[in-house]
Amino acid sequence: MAMKFICDTERCIACYGCVVACKEGHHLPIGVNRRRVVIVNEGKPGEKSISIACMHCSDAPCMAVCPTKCIYKREDGIVLHDKTKCIGCGYCLMACPFGAPQFPKSGPFGARGVMDKCTFCAGGPAPTFSEQEKQLYGQNRIAEGKVPLCAGMCSTKALLAGDSEVISEIYTQRVAKRGAANL
Amino acid sequence: MTNHFNDIRHSKLLFFIGSNAAEAHPVAMQYILYAKEVNNAPVIVVDPRFTKLAAKATDYVRIRPGTDTAFLMGLINQLIQNDWYDKEFVRTRVAGFEELKKEASHYTPEVVEDITGVPAKEVVRIAKLLADNRPGTVIWCMGITQHHIGSSNTRACCILQLMLGNMGKSGGGTNIFRGHDNVQGATDMCVLSHSLPGYYGLSDKAWKHWCKVWGVDYEWIKSRFYNKKYMNKPGFTLARWYQGVIQEDKITQYTPIKAVVFWGISSQSISQYHKVKKAFEQLDLVVVIDPFFNTTAAMCEKDNVYVLPSTSQYETEGSVTSSCRQAQWRYKVVNPVYDSKTDYEIMEEFVKRFGFADKFYKNIKKIPEDITREIANGCLTIGLCGWLPERIKKHTDNWHTFDIDTLQAKGGPCDGEYYGLPWPCWTEDHPGTPILYDISKPVAKGGLPFRARFGTEYTYPDGRKENLLAAEGVANPGSEIMGGYPEFPGWKTDKNVIKEAIKRGMAPFGNARARCYCWNFPDPVPKHREPLHSPRPDLIKKYPTYPDKPDHYRVYTRYKSEQKPELAKEFPIVLITGRVVEHMGGGDETRSNKYLAELMPEVYAEINPRLANDYGLRDGEMVWIESPEGGRIKIKVKVTERVDDKTIFIPYSFSGMFMGRSMLSNYPQGFEPYAIGEPANIVTNYGYDIKTQIQGTKECLCRIKKA
Repeated sequence: MAMKFICDTERCIACYGCVVACKEGHHLPIGVNRRRVVIVNEGKPGEKSISIACMHCSDAPCMAVCPTKCIYKREDGIVLHDKTKCIGCGYCLMACPFGAPQFPKSGPFGARGVMDKCTFCAGGPAPTFSEQEKQLYGQNRIAEGKVPLCAGMCSTKALLAGDSEVISEIYTQRVAKRGAANL
Repeated sequence: MTNHFNDIRHSKLLFFIGSNAAEAHPVAMQYILYAKEVNNAPVIVVDPRFTKLAAKATDYVRIRPGTDTAFLMGLINQLIQNDWYDKEFVRTRVAGFEELKKEASHYTPEVVEDITGVPAKEVVRIAKLLADNRPGTVIWCMGITQHHIGSSNTRACCILQLMLGNMGKSGGGTNIFRGHDNVQGATDMCVLSHSLPGYYGLSDKAWKHWCKVWGVDYEWIKSRFYNKKYMNKPGFTLARWYQGVIQEDKITQYTPIKAVVFWGISSQSISQYHKVKKAFEQLDLVVVIDPFFNTTAAMCEKDNVYVLPSTSQYETEGSVTSSCRQAQWRYKVVNPVYDSKTDYEIMEEFVKRFGFADKFYKNIKKIPEDITREIANGCLTIGLCGWLPERIKKHTDNWHTFDIDTLQAKGGPCDGEYYGLPWPCWTEDHPGTPILYDISKPVAKGGLPFRARFGTEYTYPDGRKENLLAAEGVANPGSEIMGGYPEFPGWKTDKNVIKEAIKRGMAPFGNARARCYCWNFPDPVPKHREPLHSPRPDLIKKYPTYPDKPDHYRVYTRYKSEQKPELAKEFPIVLITGRVVEHMGGGDETRSNKYLAELMPEVYAEINPRLANDYGLRDGEMVWIESPEGGRIKIKVKVTERVDDKTIFIPYSFSGMFMGRSMLSNYPQGFEPYAIGEPANIVTNYGYDIKTQIQGTKECLCRIKKA
């Protein structure tokens, strides 16, 4: 099993509901965007939007480059990191193809602060539901048996989150219907 | 809405005109995209701006602002000329077809191209698409209504659907997405100056009906007015009330307006906002009742304003009405925080101090349930008789038992009823009417014919007589009369008449034809009239506006005297306004949310690259935008192809700046919104609908100067 996100660009309307749900739900500081919406061809035919966060890669490049080995992968495929070990070097950001890692501050000497990123709403290495987990990583909805806030909020069901087999099946069905209708 | 959001899943075509649902109604998009994907429905978006909705369209049509009627009449003409219209529907359920045909024949594809800018070939192609994909839904919003011919625009949309035979059908209908939750409820309560609740109007009969419902003496109500005349005379409107203060246009009232109460509304949504500001300075009293210290409060710079903190919707309860005429019970989530009071409490405090609490609360012992009950008792016209608080709560509590496609409950405590009892819900056991004018179902089961409101026969100016009732054989199943019939006498004031009609399988309001020719409108058949401030002076002579209207909701309203061909020389650029998904209405609430403010921190003017280059403007530069009325705003340039090179677009949800000046010092410390900017409505122009007086903010002119 692997937990994944899929964003269906035929459905995404760039409403930013996912972004706000994430920020509000985890009380993130301004400037930290665990999730973003990217619009291409804005205002022109072919305009498309996509919601992007940590993709919880199967072979996560951030894990490979982290000098303190603070990034780890759970059995269910969710990629998390230990904020108490992170030194804020930013290697993960350079390695990440999606620009997912976030850094809450920057200073004249490039001090970035500890990295923050999408947790798939699964908290972190601190004890589940502990105050420390909430402070460092935000809610742990996966432990509560709930989908991530972003996908739960998505008004057009463009953003799907969950077991990759299940969500890819939903997506395949959707694409098949679109195809059939076009025949 | 004649149909409901879920019903859009059955549409074979979606025709949007003057709607940007992707930003204004994001949650509705799931049904829209469903129809597009599963039904392969063409999604046609007609708009001057390539919106986020247009990004999801299969067919985008760029139209010149203020020319919707010409485009729609062009489509109607194509349907008629090519025999693509629904002849059986027209024969049996439509009146005034000959008059429509004659007027529509003017709008050939070439004429439409000249007026609207839409290529002639496109007009024909879109008409064919509409004809080939039925039933289709027509959806519009403020892009259709906010024009001086807004009422013609809306009627042209309805007539288009009549010609296609798409009315009263699942997947069809005219579906106007309301701008906030409970706008429909506010409309039904007629929080307006020309009608009592339930669209009863202001006649003596209407007053007497409501006095009976309220249990108060008609003579006492009458005694509250300055004189009897004002009891029946429509008051000022939201769009022009401030003229009652500043009186630039002559008013027809015994006194200027001295006090104003803003209860849950943004004043910056009113056009020519710099004049509204002027009114604030002249008023003796301004009362702002709002959960936020809002723009109105900050704009009053004279010591004449009181701010009363009210609660949000989460701190109170009551029934609300959705865009699709459905009621839902909104339960309280938390108790009021800080020293805010619910709207009910604030009203009660006022009523007590005014000294008529005994009369006001005659039927109301338990709030809010008894208020809902009183509404059900009085609003017979739209069939709210079945909206008892217990029933509404039962639906809300059991919403999982209703079907997503039909809205009908399958089993459970609401078995057979439609979610939220969409009005008309004629009786206490009526299931609600999910689709208006649907003659495939019995009236008792949610069916309905067209309303017989305008008599049984009409003689057109050319002498042609027409029966206004539906044709023989056309009625809801089980109707005692299989054909047209007039309204039941007294149905608007007597519930027993309604019950009797339903028992006979008939609609209390009769069974008539829908009119294409409305003799009680200034233009009986919709026709194009150039915007008051037109960028096409050459068309003004051919398509002039109306004569001035001296007493239009108590204020002289200019039409002909305001339409000057030379204006476009000085003010050559068309200005339109609209929504952004991040902010809501005037934005006082959303701009005070740090995350939304971060996403959309400042106001901007969308300018086409060609226009920007002609004016030497670069992306991110500041520019002054000036209106013919003397409004001016300093605003950031956003270079984009969303708009064409003759038009600029500004989102209207901002405030905190006023004609270059910061207003932040007028807020109590710590209450300033995070996102601030100039209100777009400072530069929106003069111009009001001839029937409703809605402001024409989607057909303005302006000029720009580098700041």
